[in-house]
Amino acid sequence: MNDRKFVVWLQLLWMFLKVNLLSPSGPASVGLLYKEAVGRVMTEEQFVEAVGFSNVLPGSEALKLAMFVGFAAGGVPGVLTALLGAVLPPTVMMLAVAAILQHVQHEDWLKGFVAGMSPAVAALILIVAWDLFQVGQSREIGRRTMLIAVLSAVALWLNLPSPLVLMGAGVLGVILFR
Amino acid sequence: MELLTELFWVFLKVNLLSTSGPASVGLLYHQAVGRFVTEQQFVQAVGFSSVLPGSDALQLAMYIGYAAGGISGGLVALLASILPPTVIILLVTMILHRLRREAWLASFVEGLAPAVSVLMLFTAWKIFQKGGDAGWFGWLLGIASFIAMWLKLPERVVVVIAGIIGVIYSTL
Repeated sequence: MNDRKFVVWLQLLWMFLKVNLLSPSGPASVGLLYKEAVGRVMTEEQFVEAVGFSNVLPGSEALKLAMFVGFAAGGVPGVLTALLGAVLPPTVMMLAVAAILQHVQHEDWLKGFVAGMSPAVAALILIVAWDLFQVGQSREIGRRTMLIAVLSAVALWLNLPSPLVLMGAGVLGVILFR
Repeated sequence: MELLTELFWVFLKVNLLSTSGPASVGLLYHQAVGRFVTEQQFVQAVGFSSVLPGSDALQLAMYIGYAAGGISGGLVALLASILPPTVIILLVTMILHRLRREAWLASFVEGLAPAVSVLMLFTAWKIFQKGGDAGWFGWLLGIASFIAMWLKLPERVVVVIAGIIGVIYSTL
Protein backbone atom coordinates (compact mmCIF):
# COMPACT_ATOMS: atom_id res chain seq x y z
CA MET A 1 0.00 0.00 0.00
CA ASN A 2 2.71 2.43 0.97
CA ASP A 3 4.71 1.43 -2.05
CA ARG A 4 1.83 2.27 -4.37
CA LYS A 5 1.45 5.72 -2.84
CA PHE A 6 5.14 6.29 -3.27
CA VAL A 7 4.89 5.44 -6.95
CA VAL A 8 2.06 7.96 -7.39
CA TRP A 9 4.17 10.69 -5.78
CA LEU A 10 7.16 9.90 -7.96
CA GLN A 11 4.95 9.97 -11.03
CA LEU A 12 3.56 13.35 -10.00
CA LEU A 13 7.00 14.79 -9.33
CA TRP A 14 8.27 13.61 -12.70
CA MET A 15 5.15 14.88 -14.50
CA PHE A 16 5.49 18.38 -13.12
CA LEU A 17 9.23 18.59 -13.57
CA LYS A 18 8.64 17.70 -17.21
CA VAL A 19 5.72 20.09 -17.79
CA ASN A 20 7.55 22.98 -16.14
CA LEU A 21 10.73 22.37 -18.08
CA LEU A 22 8.90 22.32 -21.39
CA SER A 23 6.39 25.15 -21.14
CA PRO A 24 7.30 28.85 -20.94
CA SER A 25 4.50 29.96 -18.61
CA GLY A 26 1.41 29.00 -16.66
CA PRO A 27 -1.17 29.46 -19.41
CA ALA A 28 1.04 27.61 -21.88
CA SER A 29 1.37 24.62 -19.58
CA VAL A 30 -2.36 23.86 -19.62
CA GLY A 31 -2.24 22.04 -22.95
CA LEU A 32 0.77 19.99 -22.01
CA LEU A 33 -0.58 19.15 -18.59
CA TYR A 34 -3.89 18.07 -20.12
CA LYS A 35 -2.15 15.38 -22.12
CA GLU A 36 -0.17 14.23 -19.09
CA ALA A 37 -2.86 14.28 -16.43
CA VAL A 38 -6.26 13.57 -17.96
CA GLY A 39 -7.09 9.89 -17.96
CA ARG A 40 -4.10 9.09 -15.78
CA VAL A 41 -4.63 10.89 -12.52
CA MET A 42 -7.90 12.74 -13.04
CA THR A 43 -10.99 12.90 -15.24
CA GLU A 44 -11.51 15.52 -17.92
CA GLU A 45 -14.25 17.12 -15.83
CA GLN A 46 -11.94 17.49 -12.85
CA PHE A 47 -9.30 19.03 -15.08
CA VAL A 48 -11.68 21.61 -16.52
CA GLU A 49 -12.76 22.52 -13.00
CA ALA A 50 -9.12 22.87 -11.93
CA VAL A 51 -8.37 25.22 -14.84
CA GLY A 52 -11.43 27.29 -13.99
CA PHE A 53 -10.40 27.67 -10.38
CA SER A 54 -6.81 28.47 -11.32
CA ASN A 55 -7.99 31.40 -13.41
CA VAL A 56 -10.09 32.79 -10.61
CA LEU A 57 -7.90 32.40 -7.53
CA PRO A 58 -4.94 34.68 -6.81
CA GLY A 59 -1.31 33.57 -7.21
CA SER A 60 0.77 31.89 -9.88
CA GLU A 61 -1.39 30.01 -12.37
CA ALA A 62 1.04 27.17 -12.94
CA LEU A 63 1.26 26.49 -9.21
CA LYS A 64 -2.47 26.43 -8.63
CA LEU A 65 -3.05 24.03 -11.49
CA ALA A 66 -0.24 21.80 -10.26
CA MET A 67 -1.73 21.67 -6.81
CA PHE A 68 -5.22 20.79 -8.06
CA VAL A 69 -3.85 17.94 -10.15
CA GLY A 70 -1.66 16.83 -7.25
CA PHE A 71 -4.65 16.80 -4.91
CA ALA A 72 -6.75 14.73 -7.29
CA ALA A 73 -3.95 12.18 -7.63
CA GLY A 74 -2.66 11.92 -4.09
CA GLY A 75 -4.35 14.17 -1.54
CA VAL A 76 -2.33 16.66 0.47
CA PRO A 77 1.02 14.85 -0.01
CA GLY A 78 0.20 14.93 -3.74
CA VAL A 79 -0.26 18.69 -3.50
CA LEU A 80 3.16 19.11 -1.93
CA THR A 81 4.85 16.80 -4.44
CA ALA A 82 3.30 18.61 -7.40
CA LEU A 83 4.30 21.93 -5.86
CA LEU A 84 7.90 20.81 -5.57
CA GLY A 85 7.96 19.64 -9.17
CA ALA A 86 6.45 22.93 -10.39
CA VAL A 87 8.69 25.19 -8.30
CA LEU A 88 12.11 23.62 -8.85
CA PRO A 89 12.80 23.95 -12.60
CA PRO A 90 11.89 27.64 -13.10
CA THR A 91 13.47 28.92 -9.90
CA VAL A 92 16.76 27.03 -10.14
CA MET A 93 17.15 28.21 -13.73
CA MET A 94 16.28 31.78 -12.86
CA LEU A 95 18.68 31.76 -9.93
CA ALA A 96 21.49 30.77 -12.27
CA VAL A 97 20.51 33.44 -14.81
CA ALA A 98 20.17 36.11 -12.10
CA ALA A 99 23.56 35.21 -10.64
CA ILE A 100 25.26 35.41 -14.02
CA LEU A 101 23.51 38.66 -14.92
CA GLN A 102 24.65 40.35 -11.71
CA HIS A 103 28.26 39.72 -12.73
CA VAL A 104 27.90 41.20 -16.20
CA GLN A 105 25.52 44.01 -15.20
CA HIS A 106 27.88 46.74 -16.38
CA GLU A 107 29.01 45.15 -19.64
CA ASP A 108 28.13 47.13 -22.72
CA TRP A 109 26.61 44.22 -24.59
CA LEU A 110 24.09 43.64 -21.78
CA LYS A 111 23.04 47.29 -21.96
CA GLY A 112 22.45 46.83 -25.67
CA PHE A 113 20.55 43.62 -25.03
CA VAL A 114 18.28 45.28 -22.47
CA ALA A 115 17.74 48.27 -24.74
CA GLY A 116 16.61 45.90 -27.48
CA MET A 117 14.54 43.79 -25.13
CA SER A 118 12.64 46.73 -23.59
CA PRO A 119 10.40 47.50 -26.57
CA ALA A 120 9.75 43.77 -27.07
CA VAL A 121 8.88 43.34 -23.38
CA ALA A 122 6.58 46.37 -23.59
CA ALA A 123 4.87 44.79 -26.61
CA LEU A 124 4.57 41.49 -24.72
CA ILE A 125 2.91 43.25 -21.79
CA LEU A 126 0.45 44.92 -24.18
CA ILE A 127 -0.50 41.59 -25.71
CA VAL A 128 -1.00 39.95 -22.32
CA ALA A 129 -3.00 42.97 -21.13
CA TRP A 130 -5.31 42.64 -24.12
CA ASP A 131 -5.79 38.90 -23.56
CA LEU A 132 -6.56 39.56 -19.93
CA PHE A 133 -9.02 42.30 -20.79
CA GLN A 134 -10.98 39.85 -22.90
CA VAL A 135 -11.12 37.14 -20.23
CA GLY A 136 -14.71 36.41 -19.34
CA GLN A 137 -16.02 38.59 -22.14
CA SER A 138 -16.79 35.78 -24.53
CA ARG A 139 -18.33 37.89 -27.28
CA GLU A 140 -17.98 41.60 -26.64
CA ILE A 141 -16.50 43.83 -24.01
CA GLY A 142 -19.34 44.81 -21.72
CA ARG A 143 -20.13 48.34 -20.61
CA ARG A 144 -19.38 47.47 -17.00
CA THR A 145 -15.91 46.21 -17.89
CA MET A 146 -15.26 49.44 -19.79
CA LEU A 147 -16.42 51.46 -16.80
CA ILE A 148 -13.97 49.69 -14.49
CA ALA A 149 -11.18 50.11 -17.06
CA VAL A 150 -11.82 53.85 -17.43
CA LEU A 151 -12.07 54.43 -13.68
CA SER A 152 -8.83 52.50 -13.11
CA ALA A 153 -7.09 54.53 -15.82
CA VAL A 154 -8.15 57.79 -14.17
CA ALA A 155 -7.10 56.55 -10.73
CA LEU A 156 -3.69 55.45 -12.00
CA TRP A 157 -3.29 58.69 -13.92
CA LEU A 158 -3.81 60.53 -10.62
CA ASN A 159 -0.99 58.38 -9.16
CA LEU A 160 -3.17 56.53 -6.70
CA PRO A 161 -1.33 53.50 -5.24
CA SER A 162 -1.81 50.56 -7.60
CA PRO A 163 -2.72 47.90 -4.97
CA LEU A 164 -5.52 50.21 -3.84
CA VAL A 165 -6.76 50.65 -7.41
CA LEU A 166 -6.84 46.87 -7.94
CA MET A 167 -8.68 46.28 -4.66
CA GLY A 168 -11.20 48.95 -5.63
CA ALA A 169 -11.72 47.39 -9.05
CA GLY A 170 -12.32 43.99 -7.46
CA VAL A 171 -14.87 45.39 -5.03
CA LEU A 172 -16.56 47.24 -7.88
CA GLY A 173 -16.68 43.93 -9.74
CA VAL A 174 -18.47 42.29 -6.82
CA ILE A 175 -21.03 45.12 -6.87
CA LEU A 176 -21.47 45.34 -10.66
CA PHE A 177 -21.29 41.70 -11.78
CA ARG A 178 -23.91 40.22 -9.51
CA MET B 1 16.54 41.66 7.87
CA GLU B 2 14.42 44.70 7.15
CA LEU B 3 14.99 44.16 3.44
CA LEU B 4 13.85 40.54 3.69
CA THR B 5 10.66 41.51 5.53
CA GLU B 6 9.97 44.15 2.90
CA LEU B 7 10.54 41.65 0.08
CA PHE B 8 8.24 39.18 1.79
CA TRP B 9 5.38 41.69 2.08
CA VAL B 10 5.69 42.97 -1.46
CA PHE B 11 5.56 39.49 -2.99
CA LEU B 12 2.77 38.37 -0.70
CA LYS B 13 0.75 41.41 -1.74
CA VAL B 14 1.49 41.03 -5.44
CA ASN B 15 0.55 37.35 -5.44
CA LEU B 16 -2.67 38.01 -3.57
CA LEU B 17 -3.76 40.62 -6.10
CA SER B 18 -2.89 38.91 -9.38
CA THR B 19 -3.97 35.65 -10.94
CA SER B 20 -0.91 34.87 -13.05
CA GLY B 21 2.72 35.81 -13.60
CA PRO B 22 2.31 38.07 -16.63
CA ALA B 23 -0.64 39.83 -14.96
CA SER B 24 1.48 40.66 -11.92
CA VAL B 25 4.04 42.63 -13.94
CA GLY B 26 2.15 45.90 -13.67
CA LEU B 27 1.75 45.79 -9.93
CA LEU B 28 5.24 44.44 -9.35
CA TYR B 29 6.75 47.28 -11.36
CA HIS B 30 5.24 49.88 -9.06
CA GLN B 31 6.30 47.97 -5.97
CA ALA B 32 9.81 46.91 -6.95
CA VAL B 33 11.43 49.44 -9.30
CA GLY B 34 13.45 52.05 -7.45
CA ARG B 35 13.15 50.05 -4.25
CA PHE B 36 14.68 46.65 -4.94
CA VAL B 37 15.84 46.86 -8.54
CA THR B 38 16.60 49.40 -11.26
CA GLU B 39 14.50 49.89 -14.37
CA GLN B 40 17.10 47.94 -16.39
CA GLN B 41 17.04 45.01 -14.01
CA PHE B 42 13.25 44.89 -14.09
CA VAL B 43 13.29 44.65 -17.88
CA GLN B 44 15.80 41.81 -17.58
CA ALA B 45 13.57 40.04 -15.05
CA VAL B 46 10.47 40.25 -17.25
CA GLY B 47 12.39 39.43 -20.42
CA PHE B 48 14.17 36.39 -19.06
CA SER B 49 11.13 35.09 -17.17
CA SER B 50 9.25 34.98 -20.47
CA VAL B 51 12.19 33.28 -22.16
CA LEU B 52 12.89 30.57 -19.57
CA PRO B 53 10.45 27.68 -19.16
CA GLY B 54 8.25 27.47 -16.07
CA SER B 55 6.14 29.83 -13.99
CA ASP B 56 6.78 33.51 -14.75
CA ALA B 57 5.62 34.65 -11.32
CA LEU B 58 8.19 32.52 -9.51
CA GLN B 59 10.97 33.61 -11.84
CA LEU B 60 10.17 37.28 -11.33
CA ALA B 61 10.25 36.69 -7.58
CA MET B 62 13.52 34.82 -7.78
CA TYR B 63 15.25 37.44 -9.93
CA ILE B 64 14.08 40.49 -7.99
CA GLY B 65 14.67 38.83 -4.62
CA TYR B 66 18.16 37.76 -5.65
CA ALA B 67 19.07 41.16 -7.10
CA ALA B 68 17.90 42.88 -3.93
CA GLY B 69 19.21 40.54 -1.25
CA GLY B 70 21.24 37.65 -2.66
CA ILE B 71 20.17 34.04 -2.28
CA SER B 72 18.27 34.66 0.94
CA GLY B 73 16.38 37.48 -0.79
CA GLY B 74 15.49 35.15 -3.65
CA LEU B 75 14.24 32.45 -1.30
CA VAL B 76 12.15 34.88 0.76
CA ALA B 77 10.52 36.35 -2.37
CA LEU B 78 9.88 32.82 -3.61
CA LEU B 79 8.28 31.74 -0.33
CA ALA B 80 6.03 34.81 -0.30
CA SER B 81 4.92 34.03 -3.86
CA ILE B 82 4.19 30.38 -3.14
CA LEU B 83 2.29 30.92 0.10
CA PRO B 84 -0.90 32.68 -1.09
CA PRO B 85 -1.86 30.18 -3.82
CA THR B 86 -0.88 27.19 -1.65
CA VAL B 87 -2.91 28.24 1.35
CA ILE B 88 -5.85 29.15 -0.86
CA ILE B 89 -5.75 25.87 -2.76
CA LEU B 90 -5.58 23.84 0.42
CA LEU B 91 -8.60 25.75 1.73
CA VAL B 92 -10.47 25.40 -1.54
CA THR B 93 -9.89 21.66 -1.86
CA MET B 94 -11.25 21.27 1.64
CA ILE B 95 -14.31 23.49 1.25
CA LEU B 96 -14.61 23.25 -2.53
CA HIS B 97 -18.30 22.53 -2.61
CA ARG B 98 -19.23 25.46 -0.48
CA LEU B 99 -17.02 27.88 -2.37
CA ARG B 100 -18.45 26.91 -5.71
CA ARG B 101 -21.63 28.79 -4.88
CA GLU B 102 -19.76 31.86 -3.69
CA ALA B 103 -20.05 33.88 -6.87
CA TRP B 104 -18.53 36.96 -5.28
CA LEU B 105 -15.00 35.65 -5.69
CA ALA B 106 -15.52 35.21 -9.44
CA SER B 107 -17.00 38.72 -9.63
CA PHE B 108 -14.04 40.13 -7.73
CA VAL B 109 -11.64 38.66 -10.26
CA GLU B 110 -13.84 39.79 -13.13
CA GLY B 111 -13.62 43.33 -11.79
CA LEU B 112 -9.89 42.94 -11.24
CA ALA B 113 -9.18 41.96 -14.86
CA PRO B 114 -9.84 45.32 -16.58
CA ALA B 115 -7.95 47.21 -13.85
CA VAL B 116 -4.96 44.88 -14.19
CA SER B 117 -5.00 45.39 -17.96
CA VAL B 118 -5.00 49.16 -17.61
CA LEU B 119 -2.20 48.99 -15.05
CA MET B 120 -0.23 46.88 -17.52
CA LEU B 121 -0.71 49.53 -20.23
CA PHE B 122 0.85 52.13 -17.93
CA THR B 123 3.70 49.75 -17.11
CA ALA B 124 4.35 48.87 -20.74
CA TRP B 125 4.66 52.57 -21.53
CA LYS B 126 7.08 53.18 -18.66
CA ILE B 127 9.25 50.20 -19.56
CA PHE B 128 9.31 51.36 -23.16
CA GLN B 129 10.30 54.91 -22.20
CA LYS B 130 12.89 54.20 -19.55
CA GLY B 131 14.23 50.75 -20.40
CA GLY B 132 16.17 51.79 -23.44
CA ASP B 133 16.04 53.81 -26.61
CA ALA B 134 12.69 55.55 -26.99
CA GLY B 135 13.69 57.07 -30.32
CA TRP B 136 12.95 55.73 -33.80
CA PHE B 137 14.93 52.56 -33.12
CA GLY B 138 12.88 51.68 -30.02
CA TRP B 139 9.59 52.41 -31.78
CA LEU B 140 10.57 50.32 -34.77
CA LEU B 141 11.61 47.41 -32.58
CA GLY B 142 8.51 47.72 -30.39
CA ILE B 143 6.08 47.81 -33.31
CA ALA B 144 7.87 44.93 -35.05
CA SER B 145 7.76 42.84 -31.85
CA PHE B 146 4.09 43.64 -31.36
CA ILE B 147 3.22 42.53 -34.89
CA ALA B 148 5.32 39.38 -34.50
CA MET B 149 3.53 38.41 -31.28
CA TRP B 150 0.17 39.36 -32.74
CA LEU B 151 0.92 36.89 -35.52
CA LYS B 152 1.44 34.27 -32.79
CA LEU B 153 5.19 33.94 -33.08
CA PRO B 154 6.51 32.48 -29.80
CA GLU B 155 7.06 35.35 -27.36
CA ARG B 156 10.36 34.06 -26.06
CA VAL B 157 11.85 33.94 -29.55
CA VAL B 158 10.71 37.51 -30.24
CA VAL B 159 12.17 38.79 -26.95
CA VAL B 160 15.55 37.12 -27.56
CA ILE B 161 15.77 38.35 -31.15
CA ALA B 162 14.93 41.90 -30.05
CA GLY B 163 17.71 41.69 -27.47
CA ILE B 164 20.22 40.49 -30.03
CA ILE B 165 19.21 43.29 -32.40
CA GLY B 166 19.81 45.67 -29.49
CA VAL B 167 23.34 44.33 -29.00
CA ILE B 168 24.13 44.69 -32.69
CA TYR B 169 22.67 48.20 -32.82
CA SER B 170 24.70 49.33 -29.79
CA THR B 171 27.96 48.25 -31.41
CA LEU B 172 27.29 50.16 -34.61
